[in-house]
Amino acid sequence: MIDCPFCGAENIPGIDDCEECGQPLSHINTGTHANNIERSLIKDRVAALAPKQPCTVSPDATVGQVLHEMATNRIGCVMIVDGGKPVGIFSERDALLKLNTEAASLSDHPISEFMTANPETLQDSAKIAFAVQRMDLGGYRHLPIVSSDDQLQGIISVRAILNYLTARMTSAS
Amino acid sequence: MDVHLTLDTDTVEQVATFEQLCVDVGTTVRETLHAMKEKRRGAVLVCEGEKLAGIFTERDALKLMEPGANLDQAVGQVMTANPETIADSETVGDAIKKMSRGGYRRLPMVDPDGRPKGFVTVSSILHYLVGHFPAVVYNLPPNPHHSTQTREGA
Repeated sequence: MIDCPFCGAENIPGIDDCEECGQPLSHINTGTHANNIERSLIKDRVAALAPKQPCTVSPDATVGQVLHEMATNRIGCVMIVDGGKPVGIFSERDALLKLNTEAASLSDHPISEFMTANPETLQDSAKIAFAVQRMDLGGYRHLPIVSSDDQLQGIISVRAILNYLTARMTSAS
Repeated sequence: MDVHLTLDTDTVEQVATFEQLCVDVGTTVRETLHAMKEKRRGAVLVCEGEKLAGIFTERDALKLMEPGANLDQAVGQVMTANPETIADSETVGDAIKKMSRGGYRRLPMVDPDGRPKGFVTVSSILHYLVGHFPAVVYNLPPNPHHSTQTREGA
């Protein structure tokens, strides 16, 4: 049986469209060519990557507080959360590009002025293939994971994806 | 197709980015940060003569963003000296091993004489891996929970 990557329904191998949702499945019907990695990418859910608990701050936290938090705890990004919902992300890259040498003089400003607002998120029930796609095409290093009602659940890093893939590759042979 | 095989045979030159930013050990932190911003690079190779002396990354930069930090000191004082490097003849598999063992996000690539040639990053390796199974990754709908209201033609 093949799992539909869109709705998760099981279908007879070789079918053109999913019986349940009607989405085309011909591209995953590669039969013998589909290897272990491809199969697990469209079967495993993001939750299997064990998203880490991110460091969170409110939108009115100051730049100084956030930078101190990142530097002392050696973390690459913080999530800006309002009522449990992720409203922004602030990473080392944002610090470098937006604060740069002005960081000390901007330390009283709220972090919401410099965060990347409305970051791309993924539900924990999404297939891992989507996480790989988002990271590769978007060039992101972190992807916030949310529940179906948009509450922040965790964060996955590009390194977690790489570990996942290499573990599958090594065991595939 | 045997993905494992190519990891052991493809060299890191296939995944490296060659457009790196090099600064001299004597450059000030201030100048280095400005250059990183301008070129949009998360890390610079710090060189002494032609040889690689260290790297300075955005993680190091973060520590120098707190009030009172001295931005006029030489980058050579605050860089990570003698970083783990990868030779241009090593394989992608070697790079992955080194990165996961040390928790590194990027490795400077050097030629046999110790001259820096570029960077190998986690993202570039991911991109390389995805190239081995493009269909599952690139042929996806715009969002994961996409479903049509009615079956096509119905």
